Amino acid sequence: MPAEIFNPNPVVFSTSKSGKKPDLSPHSLWINDDPENDENDADEVVEAIDQEEIFDLIRSIYDPEHPNTLEELRVVSAPQITLGQNHVKVEFTPTVPHCGMSTLIGLCIRVRLLRSLPERFKVDIFVKPGSHQSENAVNKQLNDKERVAAALENPVLLDTVEQCLVNAGARGNPI
Amino acid sequence: MDVDLPYKLVPVAELQGHEDRAWHVAWNPKKPTLASCSADKTVRLYSYSSAPCSHSTNLDEANTSSHAHEHPLRFEHITTIPTGHAKTVRSVAWAPSGETLATASFDSNIGIWEKGEEEPDEDGATGDGEWECISTLEGHETECKSVAYSSTGTLLASCSRDKTVWIWEVHPDGEFETISVLMEHTQDVKCVGWHPTEEILASASYDDTIKLYIEDPSDDWFCFTTLTGHTSTVWSLAWSPAETGGYLASASDDKTVRIWRRIAEHKWECVLVLRGHERSIYSVSWSNGKQAEGSHALGWLASAGGDGNVLIWELSEPALEESSAIVKPPTHKLIANLKSAHGVHDVNSVVWCPRKGFEDLLATTGDDGYTRIWKIAPS
Repeated sequence: MPAEIFNPNPVVFSTSKSGKKPDLSPHSLWINDDPENDENDADEVVEAIDQEEIFDLIRSIYDPEHPNTLEELRVVSAPQITLGQNHVKVEFTPTVPHCGMSTLIGLCIRVRLLRSLPERFKVDIFVKPGSHQSENAVNKQLNDKERVAAALENPVLLDTVEQCLVNAGARGNPI
Repeated sequence: MDVDLPYKLVPVAELQGHEDRAWHVAWNPKKPTLASCSADKTVRLYSYSSAPCSHSTNLDEANTSSHAHEHPLRFEHITTIPTGHAKTVRSVAWAPSGETLATASFDSNIGIWEKGEEEPDEDGATGDGEWECISTLEGHETECKSVAYSSTGTLLASCSRDKTVWIWEVHPDGEFETISVLMEHTQDVKCVGWHPTEEILASASYDDTIKLYIEDPSDDWFCFTTLTGHTSTVWSLAWSPAETGGYLASASDDKTVRIWRRIAEHKWECVLVLRGHERSIYSVSWSNGKQAEGSHALGWLASAGGDGNVLIWELSEPALEESSAIVKPPTHKLIANLKSAHGVHDVNSVVWCPRKGFEDLLATTGDDGYTRIWKIAPS
């Protein structure tokens, strides 16, 4: 973890109750063998995955520098998620415009969705327009599959990502 | 948009075996083999032949006969090289001799591979020698992303996230000498590619530009021009084939392929922008084209990427207009559009077979870990 704290005093918001149950095993990072996500059943899948479902997947990711979830810090919210048939666009809001953790937060969101969504989904991740001083650089890096692949082969970085995802399966429910 | 296209891509083989994303594939320029590489850190080698029965008895015939694949082509797994790379093997390249294979890895090293001496077995038959690492080139500080041999095989270029392009001189016995470290790009360098006949090197970058380099006989290699126009990462480069020369194609995250034309010895200009992909374009390949004949033909250009589609364009030299000094773009026509080449997965590379008689063959690799072989045929 870096020594520099980019936002020492973030505002923590109360969270809403999730309608969904937590994953049976909160530590299982691979949930895409869920039978309802079977690719062969395309119609059902489209129904099964909506904005709330995606939000549930990412709301309980921890912020890399605070003991709070991305939902509690209002970094992610359901209205910032856009869904197409095979496409998910997630916009997130760094807590401060100079947040050096933004690419790491985006990477955590990407890894969580990569591991959770059926393979047919293409995922694009962006910071909220105007919310970060290096908006273009952050967006470019988060959507470069080669950089993401290389980052996940970095044991230190991967460990940090795993820490942030440790309770992601809670889906907004208390741990 | 896929109605009434004159060609289609017919599946020929589906080569599975990689346990993770397949990044890249390279056809051996001299022998009927190809190599694919993957995030699983291995390289898989395959042979192909039109022999009606299995095994390598007909390879010589396949080598020389342009009618070789009137029989259905058979692809067979030869061997898997574990490589020893500590991370993803991002790309592979054959030397022009077809005897040496280079691997570029995220572990920042380049591996040079040759097949060991074939040792006769008990029956006196020669078996397949093992592929051995004859050299490891160290120097890049971070992920090595692409590697390429010059047309004569005497130079090797490599590039990395460390923003540098290295040129290595190839000596006998697996010796390599660094002859230049080019620090022109401001970001990751994604791809390097040599001109098919001249010693001109091109590099493509995350900084959205393409740079071209030549050697100053009295000094070091230097960048003689920077090609700008793409509005995002340039992922891949393809020179037009030697017979046509004079063009360079580039594929980008901006969802376009740009065609650059040599308008003077050291001057290149964008003459055409091809659109049709819906997501990032990761790979582009240019071949003579089997059907395209006549002096105006520029061959076939294949592109593929994150939308899972493979597009084939037929390019021709523009008609000459003596009254006009303006450089006209090549005429272009979309001739085939293969949707979902790897199912729902991204296509990471598309490569035409360079061998005579097999110009209608195309290999693709995808996030599904497969290498697929396609044949272009009239629809």
